Amino acid sequence: MSEAIGLKAKLGLDVFKHDKEAHIKIKDGMQKDPRLKRAILVCPAGLYSENEQGEVELTIDGCLECGTCLIACGTEVLEWHYPSGGTGVQFRFG
Amino acid sequence: MMEKFDAIVVGAGLAGLASAYTLANEGMEVLVLERGDYPGAKNVTGGRLYVNPVRELFPDIWKKAPLERFIASEGVCMMAGERSVSINYAGNELLEEPYQSFSILRARFDRWLAKQAERKGAMLVDKSRVDDLIFEDGKVIGVRAAGDELHANVVIACDGVLSFIAEKAGLRRKVEAPNYAVGYKEIIELDPSQIEDRFGLEGNEGSARMYMGEVTKGKFGGGFLYTNKSSISLGIVIGIKDLMEEKPSIEAPVLLDEFKQRREIAGLIKGGETVEYSAHVIPEGGYKALNKLYGDGILVAGDAAGLAMNIGVTVRGMEYALASGYYAAQTVLQAKEKEDFSAAALSHYQTQMESSFILQDFKNFQEAPQVLENPRFFNHYPEMLGNIMKDIYEVPAGSKNRLYPTIKQYMAFSELWAMLGDMRKVMKI
Amino acid sequence: MNIVVAMKQIPDLQQIRIRNREPVLDAVPLTLGNIDKNALEAAVAFKESHGGKVTVLSAGSEDLEDTIKEALAAGADEAFLVLDDELDGADSEAIAGILGAALNRIEDKDLIIFGEGSGDNYSGQVGPRVAEILGIPLVTYASSIEINDKTAKVVRSLEDCEEIIELTLPAAVSVLAGINEPRIPSVTQILKAGKKPKEILEMDDLGLALAEKQVITLSNLAPESERKQILLKSADELVKALSSQSLIGR
Repeated sequence: MSEAIGLKAKLGLDVFKHDKEAHIKIKDGMQKDPRLKRAILVCPAGLYSENEQGEVELTIDGCLECGTCLIACGTEVLEWHYPSGGTGVQFRFG
Repeated sequence: MMEKFDAIVVGAGLAGLASAYTLANEGMEVLVLERGDYPGAKNVTGGRLYVNPVRELFPDIWKKAPLERFIASEGVCMMAGERSVSINYAGNELLEEPYQSFSILRARFDRWLAKQAERKGAMLVDKSRVDDLIFEDGKVIGVRAAGDELHANVVIACDGVLSFIAEKAGLRRKVEAPNYAVGYKEIIELDPSQIEDRFGLEGNEGSARMYMGEVTKGKFGGGFLYTNKSSISLGIVIGIKDLMEEKPSIEAPVLLDEFKQRREIAGLIKGGETVEYSAHVIPEGGYKALNKLYGDGILVAGDAAGLAMNIGVTVRGMEYALASGYYAAQTVLQAKEKEDFSAAALSHYQTQMESSFILQDFKNFQEAPQVLENPRFFNHYPEMLGNIMKDIYEVPAGSKNRLYPTIKQYMAFSELWAMLGDMRKVMKI
Repeated sequence: MNIVVAMKQIPDLQQIRIRNREPVLDAVPLTLGNIDKNALEAAVAFKESHGGKVTVLSAGSEDLEDTIKEALAAGADEAFLVLDDELDGADSEAIAGILGAALNRIEDKDLIIFGEGSGDNYSGQVGPRVAEILGIPLVTYASSIEINDKTAKVVRSLEDCEEIIELTLPAAVSVLAGINEPRIPSVTQILKAGKKPKEILEMDDLGLALAEKQVITLSNLAPESERKQILLKSADELVKALSSQSLIGR
């Protein structure tokens, strides 16, 4: 829990520009797919979590667009695009 | 009649900007499309740039390039659970110009490089995502961006490690987790004088350090630290396959937090203020995992082609990006002379890459990914080395053992046999 | 019908970070004010349905030549720029004086549209001051503009009512953000923007010198944050920590 607080604050340091639509979506019916559980471990921004029903949920705000979840989980469970031009994370240092 | 470009470059990273700069310098009409607010807005490095391999390809840019510090001292730290052993390397050659490598921050560098390309005449449009390729008779003839159609003789896909453009052109290999790592880091701001004091640096000297072992809980990867002008880049690179396996089950962000709390690190960043958190996937499957480099009307450069390499002590990608962008541009120039942009004509790119340092490096180090996958490097050896050092330095209340038997107790026959086996594999690198 | 739209170059506010309570403006990308983009959209939409010309007018640092492309891509036909590196950060009076002088050089101007306030300072003064300098009528807080031959009908949205005002052209109007949704230009439009005509003037050309500022900002500090940043592992710990500080359970 303590890490989650630290992580939110860390993500709060970055510049994010809002996109109209979520650029990553969990495909319908895949919320309980075991492949999706990998995202909970690999996401550097900690955006994936499991709810009480055993479904994996994704909060798109704070996405660093690194692509790790796409590599780990694959396109059968995730619909993955880059956010539209001029939106999403904008690194000031990189 | 719609305007037709000599080349459309997808992505203003190092590969894309290098090709745009080179093409514009030769008077070509080149358009760079970048989805970020500015070039560099989506780009992340560890990072250190080795200039030697690319110095002559862009002779005019290095003098004024906004690089951070030149690396004057190198360090490797084997981290065990409760102890660590470090080796630091300093050498006079590292202090001599031209300097071998520099720490770098990409948002700053890429914006600057884009300006240089624009000054040469390249057109850059940012905030613009390329959604699709346009094909005609199976040949790439342009791109679609936010409903707009733009045509070119050649499209150069420099859209990074996930290259959706190379995928749409059918040039991308099937994605397999073992071929990728994720790097993530914090930028921690500190006064330049504090950085210089803590790392024993003078003026614009910088320091680079690698950390192996406990930092990734024995998983394939390591920690890194680079000093910038007035900040420290501190982060972790870790194999995605190892990270997603549940033994041990640990979330990526936790690794970095624990790394920061290690006493080997805590003192170096004390009082610093984190100002950015970033992450990026790195292709590191090596030669065997490279994507196809060309097709009809299309070339692929940089991370998009898989051009990054982990050889244990260093992860390199930016030189390969810059150089592959340069060779892609040379190929377009040659194709333009003959007005032939077919795959056969563009195969010249492959030939140039083969004879350059790029693919020669990839061939030389093609065994590295398999050799380095060995978990003993990330778990067993750091612990063993730490324990040996502990026993060597320990002075007990009673009499102290002789040094040779102290070390020998760690070197049972089975251990020596395993070490020999690891050695034989390492010799392939 | 010729419409002039006044726009201001400002730093991208989302990119500004705070260091030692002061904004760090170094390397922050420049853009045009958000409401200014509404003003431009109103002009371009009118041009598209009724014909005419849209001129974008701006005064700022040398970077403006590049920043203004955004407006040319979004539909302005030409730009009229006054460039001086001292101009970013100049006060409303100075800017209004410059825009007024520049407008006197633009012959046909039936309507001048402003954003209600700039993206950075939001003083809302430049529009009214320019109207005064030119001696033309002005309507602020516009939420819709309907232009006829010699007149314009403007809906003025106030807190508790709406006024409908008819005024004779030439006139000035400042618009609210809600008046429209500014378009996002396509790549082709952005590329064409570079080729649209730009008239660039310096202060000397207008016979002006930047007067000493009437308003001087003495300090501009972010609120002091005294976050304690205590990490807690459970709700129990949180309760203990809060009650130990007498923040709960008194």
